[in-house]
Amino acid sequence: MRFSISNLALFAAAMVAGSSAQAQSQLVIAVPQLPTPRNVETEGGQTGVIGIQIAQQIVSDLRTAGSIYPTGPDGLRHYTPTEAGAPQYPNWANIGAGALVTGYVQARDDGRITVACYLYDLKQRREMTRKGFVVDPKEWRLAAHRCAGAFFTAVTKRPGHFDSRIAYVAATGSRTQPVKRIAIMNWDGTDHSYLTQGEVTVTSPRLSPDGQRITYMSFAGGMPHVRVVDIDGSNDRQLVQSQSMSFSPRFSPDGRSIAFSMAIDGNTDIYIVDADGGFPRRLTTTPGIDTSPSFSPDGSRIVFESDRGGTQQIYVMNADGSGQRRISFGGGANSAPVWSPDGERIAFTRWTGAGIGIGVMSPTGANEKMLTSGWQDEGPSWAPDSEWLVFQRTQQGTGATSLYTVTVGGGEPKLLATPTPGTDPNWSGAAQ
Amino acid sequence: MIRAFILLAAFAGTAASAQYQPYPYPPPQPGPGFPAPAPGYPQPGYPGMQGPVLALPVLEADLRARAGSDTVRFGRDSYVLTTQAQATLTSQAQWLIQHPFVRASIEGHADGRQTRDYAFALGERRAAAVRNYLIASGVPPQQLQIVSWGRERPAAAAAHDATWLQNSRVVTVLKQPQEPYFQPQQPLPQQYR
Repeated sequence: MRFSISNLALFAAAMVAGSSAQAQSQLVIAVPQLPTPRNVETEGGQTGVIGIQIAQQIVSDLRTAGSIYPTGPDGLRHYTPTEAGAPQYPNWANIGAGALVTGYVQARDDGRITVACYLYDLKQRREMTRKGFVVDPKEWRLAAHRCAGAFFTAVTKRPGHFDSRIAYVAATGSRTQPVKRIAIMNWDGTDHSYLTQGEVTVTSPRLSPDGQRITYMSFAGGMPHVRVVDIDGSNDRQLVQSQSMSFSPRFSPDGRSIAFSMAIDGNTDIYIVDADGGFPRRLTTTPGIDTSPSFSPDGSRIVFESDRGGTQQIYVMNADGSGQRRISFGGGANSAPVWSPDGERIAFTRWTGAGIGIGVMSPTGANEKMLTSGWQDEGPSWAPDSEWLVFQRTQQGTGATSLYTVTVGGGEPKLLATPTPGTDPNWSGAAQ
Repeated sequence: MIRAFILLAAFAGTAASAQYQPYPYPPPQPGPGFPAPAPGYPQPGYPGMQGPVLALPVLEADLRARAGSDTVRFGRDSYVLTTQAQATLTSQAQWLIQHPFVRASIEGHADGRQTRDYAFALGERRAAAVRNYLIASGVPPQQLQIVSWGRERPAAAAAHDATWLQNSRVVTVLKQPQEPYFQPQQPLPQQYR
């Protein structure tokens, strides 16, 4: 009875999430607890307990994917480690699932643990994917995230985001005198830490494609400028040696260059420079404000915003600055464009006079669709699966800010809880 | 030689009392459109004279009193100086010309309804418009620097559409003058020649 109710709840949740996956069939994946050949005490707890925790984490991860709903580990039968690589299909036939996760956790002599996980298609009785990791026992969660990511990819053919990270600006203090720190956390809010300590105002952190560096804007020294820092907080450096104000940085997909804006005597243009510094190359030359550059996934084009036509609109150009043309014609002022990792869509922020919301369009400007309609929703950033977006929502009146996620299918945005109010979220690519 | 000695003496004098900031210029003369200082405003003196304490709050209050405001405001998305803004800036320019030892940071702001990147660009554009106006009014360029706060420092704590006029602004922020110095192109006062 309890089982069916929880199934119903999950089904309802999936309907509310209401993504484009609605058109697809919903795949039920059973995730029983991972067995262990011998229950051994490790630094991360007993291997038997880790097996339960990994199953719970996989369920928790997959539950956020619109087209999948996982069940377990409670209420599912136990099996032996030997069955992990060779499931006895008749034993799993009546659990109402289309796919099965198996695996095991085994302690090694060197103090680490082996985590193996498999995904089986119960209808066609075949293996869909498998993963194996040797990790520190305390890092079992990372193995669980990567298993879940591999399963998500096997089902949806898209990269998973379960081991991805989100950088954002943690804002405390009053609205007129805020204290801003760059924070980074796992996509689900766990493993949270601060990269800067709030001595100076910082904005717009953007992760490198490999997740190892962050480029951001800082008021250090009084003049706002772009900096680059390693993910562990070391090697913090100014990107371009210039007396002019620079901001709005973003890495190229290969991580070798950074596009950014520089304002000189009232004119803001887009420049590109080697990620290790050097002499920047100017890409735009109009007297208007050109800012918020974002690369296409192949690095050949850049989408950006410009008010050269009177209002802020979205433009696309080749990565060398040639072939600039406007693509947004849907009304309102359109800004802060970001290209999706699969190259299919561009997310943007639209101001209509009444509210500010997040929308998506194809790179030609067609198929425009608004996803949110808050008083002020802005600054979208893509998850590696190109299905989810994280953005900043500001409440009218108090000005309180929080991070929310939404799928391109639409539906109600979900709060992404952070320890302090958050702005400027940036979702990393998946570390594979 | 004598000049170097006087500079040295002036320097030693300021070092001895850190708060005492005499400066070697005649007090600004009231003129058309530039009223006499408010009663109680400390008159600057020459080195060695009994002078006022030229603390930053005093200078700021004087700028506000004589120029009307340290702030000019803009329409939405606009960086055009209104007639009122031009009048304020003309007075600010006169004040800055008569206090050449006081450097100013021209700080541009945009409203929170702008996206973050655009707000930085717009704040810079407004600050540049103000700086250019001040320079055209005779303020030496090296006396001014510009910076944009984007939407990071709103003037109004509340988040409403009605606050954009308060937030869309450029503020002339004075810097605490350091030791007095002589500009070579200006003649020394008679008693120091």
